[in-house]
Amino acid sequence: MKRFGIVLLTLLFIGSMCGTAVAGDTLDEVKKKGVLVAGVKDSTPGFGYIDEKTREIVGYDVDFCKAIAKRLGVKLELKPVTSASRIPQLVAGNIDIAAATMTKTADRAKQIDFSYTYFFTGQKFITPKGKVKKLSDLDGKKIGTAKGSTSEQNAKKSLPTATILSFDDYPQAFLALQQGKVAAVTTDESILANILSKAPDKRKYEIPSIRISDEPYGLGVRKGDKKLLDFVNATILEMEKSGEAAKIFNKWFGPKSPTPLKRDFKITSEKLPWEK
Amino acid sequence: MFAYKFDWAIVTSGQYFEWLVSGVKITLELSVVSIALSFALGLFVAVMRMSNARPLLWFSHAYLEFFRNTPLLIQIFFWYFGSYKILPEVVNDWLNTMDFEFAAAVIALTIYTSAFIAEDIRSGVRSIPKEQMEAARSSGFSYLRSMQYVILPQAVRITIPPLINQFLNLTKNSSLAMTIGVAELTYQARQVESYTFKGFEAFTAATLVYLGMSLIITGLVTLYSKRVLSPMGVK
Repeated sequence: MKRFGIVLLTLLFIGSMCGTAVAGDTLDEVKKKGVLVAGVKDSTPGFGYIDEKTREIVGYDVDFCKAIAKRLGVKLELKPVTSASRIPQLVAGNIDIAAATMTKTADRAKQIDFSYTYFFTGQKFITPKGKVKKLSDLDGKKIGTAKGSTSEQNAKKSLPTATILSFDDYPQAFLALQQGKVAAVTTDESILANILSKAPDKRKYEIPSIRISDEPYGLGVRKGDKKLLDFVNATILEMEKSGEAAKIFNKWFGPKSPTPLKRDFKITSEKLPWEK
Repeated sequence: MFAYKFDWAIVTSGQYFEWLVSGVKITLELSVVSIALSFALGLFVAVMRMSNARPLLWFSHAYLEFFRNTPLLIQIFFWYFGSYKILPEVVNDWLNTMDFEFAAAVIALTIYTSAFIAEDIRSGVRSIPKEQMEAARSSGFSYLRSMQYVILPQAVRITIPPLINQFLNLTKNSSLAMTIGVAELTYQARQVESYTFKGFEAFTAATLVYLGMSLIITGLVTLYSKRVLSPMGVK
């Protein structure tokens, strides 16, 4: 009896490992289940955050997921993820697609597959007004950012003498800036613009025109999930053509939004240099 | 079935190895400084807690209950972010030029752990027969001197095993300092994970280091109590 128990446990263990490792066909599975599970941020204004009135997660990323789910004819289920958890969650099969302000990088592309670029931005800094004119003004200073993000890596690369302090999220990093604990907060411009627009003492800060990286955002799917990836790519290309993509951009980043940005990109099938 | 490829080389050599080593250094610094300070502070609070002066008694009681019963993470955030609002600007400016992240972590770890240590020492003291105190006092020692020369040396020895527990807890709790950007071991392991996606390797390495440190602390304190304390007559 005891041995039977051990065998059963072993089988269960192996079974559970198989379950997660199967890279089957997510597209078919999603259609069968009738639900697309998307991992989105829930505290990144503009992209994925909780609407104060409806208590639902809304944003640019969410609208793209909605459009994809609609074309698939399935329901959309949103799961909050963080910069650090989005790839593990995707690989483990807890989500089908990651739409979480994720910059496409060659390193990440070894773990997951990326769609065409659906949002394009770059990394800048928020600093106290008038303090920083050029990048070298930040040499040797403390710079705040969030854990597990490309922002952290870019900052380290472009400012090797600076001390990078990684906090759990950007609001906390900005709090450290307000308290003078760091000289600047760095991440993608769109995220910075929104943090700034919400700050009560925003007049004291600015985003100097120092850009330290290009950040093409991609939707992530599990490695080898070609059918789902093709579907996603076809969908976002079509959304660009029909103007739906531009409309979503304007909804969240247009002139009347809390984060006014210029849409200086188009969704195309063009590949990044390292993707070729 | 095993699609995941292990790559132990990343945590045994090269840049990521160096990150982990620097993390180990910070964890050691954090732990050693906080252990020393929390022991001293714990001793101090324990003496207050056992004194006859009412205000000291109340203060130490409140101190113990407050710091033992609030989460360490909250305390870390309080010292790092919350202290800003109550400190004068000059002090804040000065702190910001220093390594305040590290200092805030040390303060939080020290105060939190000292509350537990104080209670452990107090229970050690209570296990010393009260006749010893009476004998010391009747020999002309003041209360503080009786504590210093008679009671505490014995009580601390009895307290060694629970103290080991507190030191181990402190060492492991030091990982929470990562939340305010102190680049200790867990922070660096997470950093390696986010650069390489080799979370299993990075966190396994960190786990082994913590385990090693804990065993070393246990070993050292046990050795100390066997070699130094036991010959002095306390079992």
